[in-house]
Amino acid sequence: MMRRTLAGLSCVLALLLTCAGCHRDEHRRKLIVVIVPSQDNPYFKAEADAAAARALELGYRVRVDAHEDDAFRQDNLVDAAIASNAAAIILDNAGADATVSAVRRATRAGIAVFLIDREIDATGIAKAQIISDNDQGARLVAAEFVRAMNGSGEYAELLGKESDTNAQIRTQGFHAVLDQYSNLKRVSAQSANWSQAEAFQKTETMLQAHGNIAGIIAGNDTMALGAAAALKSAGKLNVPITGFDGSPDAIDAIERGELRATALQPAVLISRLAVDEADRFLKTGSTGHSELQIIPCELVTKSNAGNYRNFEKVR
Amino acid sequence: MSTETPSQPRANRFGVASARLILLLLRARAILVLLLLLILFSALAPEFLTANNLSILTKHVAITALLAVGMTFVILTGGIDLSVGSIAGLGGMVAGYLLTQGLSFDGVTHFPPVAIVILLTICACLLVGALNGWLVAKAGVAPFIATLGTLYIARGAALLISNGKTFPNLGGTASRGNTGFPAFGQSFLLHVPTPVWMMVALFAVAWVVATKTPLGRHVYAIGGNERAARLAGIRVAQVKLATYVFSAFCAALVGLIIAAQLEAAHPATGESFELNAIAAVVLGGTSLMGGRGSVTGSLIGAFVIGVLADGLVMLGVSEFWQVVIKGVVIVVAVGLDQLQTRLEVRILPYLTTVRTKEGHS
Repeated sequence: MMRRTLAGLSCVLALLLTCAGCHRDEHRRKLIVVIVPSQDNPYFKAEADAAAARALELGYRVRVDAHEDDAFRQDNLVDAAIASNAAAIILDNAGADATVSAVRRATRAGIAVFLIDREIDATGIAKAQIISDNDQGARLVAAEFVRAMNGSGEYAELLGKESDTNAQIRTQGFHAVLDQYSNLKRVSAQSANWSQAEAFQKTETMLQAHGNIAGIIAGNDTMALGAAAALKSAGKLNVPITGFDGSPDAIDAIERGELRATALQPAVLISRLAVDEADRFLKTGSTGHSELQIIPCELVTKSNAGNYRNFEKVR
Repeated sequence: MSTETPSQPRANRFGVASARLILLLLRARAILVLLLLLILFSALAPEFLTANNLSILTKHVAITALLAVGMTFVILTGGIDLSVGSIAGLGGMVAGYLLTQGLSFDGVTHFPPVAIVILLTICACLLVGALNGWLVAKAGVAPFIATLGTLYIARGAALLISNGKTFPNLGGTASRGNTGFPAFGQSFLLHVPTPVWMMVALFAVAWVVATKTPLGRHVYAIGGNERAARLAGIRVAQVKLATYVFSAFCAALVGLIIAAQLEAAHPATGESFELNAIAAVVLGGTSLMGGRGSVTGSLIGAFVIGVLADGLVMLGVSEFWQVVIKGVVIVVAVGLDQLQTRLEVRILPYLTTVRTKEGHS
């Protein structure tokens, strides 16, 4: 048995060594490392895929890693990128504060870092920070929510993870609009930590406590979908629900009439911009843009849902 | 020996020899796997075998290794410590709080210097370790349950300290006299990262304790047969308490290192670290039933896990496959452990000389 195992292992080793040979040629091309929070979430997947595709198109080698929103894991991945002599890192980071030291270390090692989707608490280290306008998007969605509610009634809010800056910016954006209508009354606000399952449970509980809830505004699409499922199982149809992000599932739900609206974050556009700027920086020494770039979100409703697919406008 | 096995035919000698060889290979499996991984990754990723990367790699390994060394003693007594990840998270938050919020006496906020911050953090973590030890050794709670409880308690406490927020900018401020904390995780001594030195020092101490001191022998004895150990006059409760406190000390170091590296403390830091530590210990050949294993094995196990993690990232293997591969390695390691135990039992009569040398089996 031992002998067979050894034979098997040496076969695998030999195969891998041959592969290594054919990869040698690849190592002459520069490496771009794309680090995103996770690859099992459609938003981050679209973001990673768009960046990787653009970088390949421009003739780079690409590696995609995921830090699972764990700042320490992100730190290790940045180390790995430094060790691999990456030319640039495209990073959707794991926390505005906890990311600064990793970005500084990569920059010191001569790697150009481009932040996408979320900012960090420091300027002048990264070459660019390209983010979507969460405040403007939140206001767009809130205005649509007001139209759906006809400006009055009881509503509930599902908040994102409290430690996430975007959760705070979005709820502030919502209330900048909603609080102007005195007949709109927020009867309950709960954090569902961006999670669909948690939003489902929280919504069921909120419906028990407040039977008159006539609308739900959620900090992201997965929570909105969780709320929609809860309302459906409670037999409450035609309660307007809004989300945020513009995920494919949410856009399908908008087309089916289960969700009222969402704000689409131009994730694909942002990824492409970041890679293009990285390319220009590596070739000319300048991105040609200011460090902080804020890209507006777009409102998606039933009337224009067909124009959007996978975090980009296709028509 | 001939009196013990009169019925064994001569032809079996070859079988015994090959069984011995297999057993030797099985015992050395962790180091064999490590060598195989090193060769593989060096061949596949040209940047893998550079001084720079090996330094980074060892720094990453140090985190798992520190936890694994502490965990080894707990597992050797037949226990388990699920709370180490949470204790590391708590440690980071305590340090973060002391550095950024300070301590208030009579309405005046004092900012303790970094050395005091580190000491207080370690003390806080040792308290959790002592709670673990007390629950297991004195209150008689099963280790799995006791440390599962403290896992939640410590994580909850970490979240409470900051209300779930991150403590940023742990670099300190000169006017408060508390700068220099990041050096705990980021500095170098003779071109080797400080965390690696900590790993080396801690490993050396643990090795000496495990192999050269009565305390070490007591740990093995308790894991081998707790009743017998008690009857032999070993103070079981104190020894067990010591193992949990030591494990918490290792976790405190990890929490401090991570907070120093990130220059920020996040309450979720260290989630599932306990699983990596347990995996490293098991990979290193320590039996979860207690009584059999070594600190050296755990160190090698930590290297296997660290090399695997970093190597797969450098190769650009998809993260989903990374998870699967890690799982396969652990399952295979435990399977081999079972095989080793069974083989040892079967050829026990032939191995009396080897066994007396090993001592702890």
